Amino acid sequence: MESTFFVDLLWKLLQALPLTLLLFILAIALGLVLAIGLTWMRVGSNPILTRIARFYIYVFRGTPLLIQLFLIYYGLGQFAFVRQSFLWPILREPFNCAVLSLALCTAAYQAEIFRGALLAVPLQQVEAARAIGMSRLLMFRRIIVPIMIRQALPSYTTELVLMIKSTSLAGLVTIKEMTSIASTESRSSYRTLSVFLVVGAIYLILNFLLSRILGYVEHRLSPHLRVMPEAKRPQPTLVG
Amino acid sequence: MSAQSQPALVARDIHKSFGQLEVLKGISLDAHEGDVISILGASGSGKSTFLRCINLLETPDSGVVTVAGETIVMRKKRGGGMEAADHHQVDRIRAELGMVFQSFNLWSHMTILQNVIEGPVHVQKRPRAECIEEAEALLEKVGIAGKRDFYPSHLSGGQQQRVAIARALAMRPKVMLFDEPTSALDPELVGEVLKVMRALAEEGRTMLVVTHEMGFARNVSNRVMFLHKGLVEAEGSPKELWEGSKSERFRQFVSSQHH
Amino acid sequence: MTTDLASLIELLGFSDKGWGLQFAYATLMTLAVTVAALLIGAVLGALVAWAKLSKSTAANIAGDAYVTVFRGVPELLIIYLFYFGGSTVVTGIGSLIGLDIGMPGFLAGALGVGFICGAYQSEVYRGAFLAVSRGEIEASKAIGMHQFMRFRRIIAPQVLRFALPGLGNVWQLSLKDSALVSVTGLSEIMRQSEVSGGSTGRFFLFYIFGGVLYLILTSFSNQVFNRAEAHFGKSLRRSVGSA
Repeated sequence: MESTFFVDLLWKLLQALPLTLLLFILAIALGLVLAIGLTWMRVGSNPILTRIARFYIYVFRGTPLLIQLFLIYYGLGQFAFVRQSFLWPILREPFNCAVLSLALCTAAYQAEIFRGALLAVPLQQVEAARAIGMSRLLMFRRIIVPIMIRQALPSYTTELVLMIKSTSLAGLVTIKEMTSIASTESRSSYRTLSVFLVVGAIYLILNFLLSRILGYVEHRLSPHLRVMPEAKRPQPTLVG
Repeated sequence: MSAQSQPALVARDIHKSFGQLEVLKGISLDAHEGDVISILGASGSGKSTFLRCINLLETPDSGVVTVAGETIVMRKKRGGGMEAADHHQVDRIRAELGMVFQSFNLWSHMTILQNVIEGPVHVQKRPRAECIEEAEALLEKVGIAGKRDFYPSHLSGGQQQRVAIARALAMRPKVMLFDEPTSALDPELVGEVLKVMRALAEEGRTMLVVTHEMGFARNVSNRVMFLHKGLVEAEGSPKELWEGSKSERFRQFVSSQHH
Repeated sequence: MTTDLASLIELLGFSDKGWGLQFAYATLMTLAVTVAALLIGAVLGALVAWAKLSKSTAANIAGDAYVTVFRGVPELLIIYLFYFGGSTVVTGIGSLIGLDIGMPGFLAGALGVGFICGAYQSEVYRGAFLAVSRGEIEASKAIGMHQFMRFRRIIAPQVLRFALPGLGNVWQLSLKDSALVSVTGLSEIMRQSEVSGGSTGRFFLFYIFGGVLYLILTSFSNQVFNRAEAHFGKSLRRSVGSA
């Protein structure tokens, strides 16, 4: 009796898992693109663009994700001009609204992370690059961005974990991701705690895998912080 | 020098190990009222550890500490070693010993004045007005008049240490313990602190000073104890040690201290 | 256009057709739930921080588990747990004593957000405690203070000062999490926006309005915390690592 319930539940959840992951990946990817644009506006020299970016970040970080989601899903569909536009086939779908909303939100958080990472790039290393005559583009590509990525990784990992959790809100706009399955199952079976334990465990495993992957990336990107390798046999040198 | 029948402080056969490393291998000390004892030694000789065993910031593995005739009661601890049997007694005795630390350790969330009156008001439960009056007199004595509402982070190292001395003095201690009081100071600030310490010595205070300042040890203290690898290698008056010491190690140590 | 603006103001105002009063009430409810959650979180956070700092491995593991679970599992799921789970428990007890009671949304929300808040607060308190100078604690021992007094006069004041910036962040976080309590039906800002929007069909307006209310709350909180940090921070060290 017991085991069939759990097997059933697990099966339902695993069917919902790809949806969760798809939401996550699309939102992060779209959010990343938006965040790059936002950061460029934020740290650029155009004061108008800077203000727009600052306002965007302020709004999307200062309001709950849920209200942003409902605004897009229920709010936009309210207007005739939206329903008649070419965007409507896209915006009509709850999945697309969810991805869009999640992406807009994470873009704001990611932009802040990038800005912090940019500020943390040591000025001395930038000066060294200038001193050997690197063009600005080359310097950006070879020095600044690599350092930024390393600086941003820890906060970025946190943001990714937050995004996995945020996918759960999609359930409130009819998408059958894992948390919504959990809520239907627990209501119909009155086994709230067991359902919670199973679903929670899946999310924790996802987070664990995510942290591991990013930890590996961080490790690969920072050989300079690791223990020195064994010195090789001395090569003949110019001096002695 | 001492007219008391009872020493101000007695430490008998103090042993202390940190894990496998035995730092103190049996140190004893008798301090009579008015004694100013300099404790010298190389790093690792155990001198700071010994001082900290006296007010039980470190707990000795064996040995006895007696302050003004009162012995700190110890008992065996589960899992080996010793611990103080009565925390109230330890607190009470600590209040009779004034300690000045290498890194001053003034409480950063309190003003200078609050730092000095904290002990008298909250530990000794003396009336606040009286404590404030005494604190201001002490601050003036150590040369920090007029800064009572400043915070420690606004003062220089030398100033902070002098406040720390005033804080210890405010408790009206029987014995003052100094743990390398000038080691963390910039060279030009050392003098002002040594000046205060010298004045205290001349007043007749009982002081135990762990220090690297050879000048102080030789000219201000009336007894010197030289520790080497956890044991007392040489002991006596400054004259005895500097002019007639039989200890080769001590002579080597002194010559290695460039002052 | 002007009639549009006029009807806008009417809808948001305090007239018969206006939803202003309900939103005022909802704002208070949002604040109440968040404050309750923060208090619950403070107690839990202090306990867990103590567990993680303790020498007992069992306590460390328990503390770690708590933080991992309540920071790693979606907030919505946790609120469902307290709401549906709580419902089952409360209704069960109710039926035993012959009462038809349900789980109040406020309680489920405060507990849910509170447990999450507690996980974040524990990290803040733990970091703040580790930042207190060991030397200053030794000085308080050397002067003869007994353990409780050391805690009360030296450790706790400093922990609170160091924790203030982190607590500001946790407050903002919890304020936004409180919107999820709307799933229990509690009339806080989010739910009120849903209700007003559904009733008038003007979703866009009311969700924007709700968002503005949250922004006002966040900005106001920011100011309060900045003032507090400035006031308590005047004693802090000039630079990290100075004696």
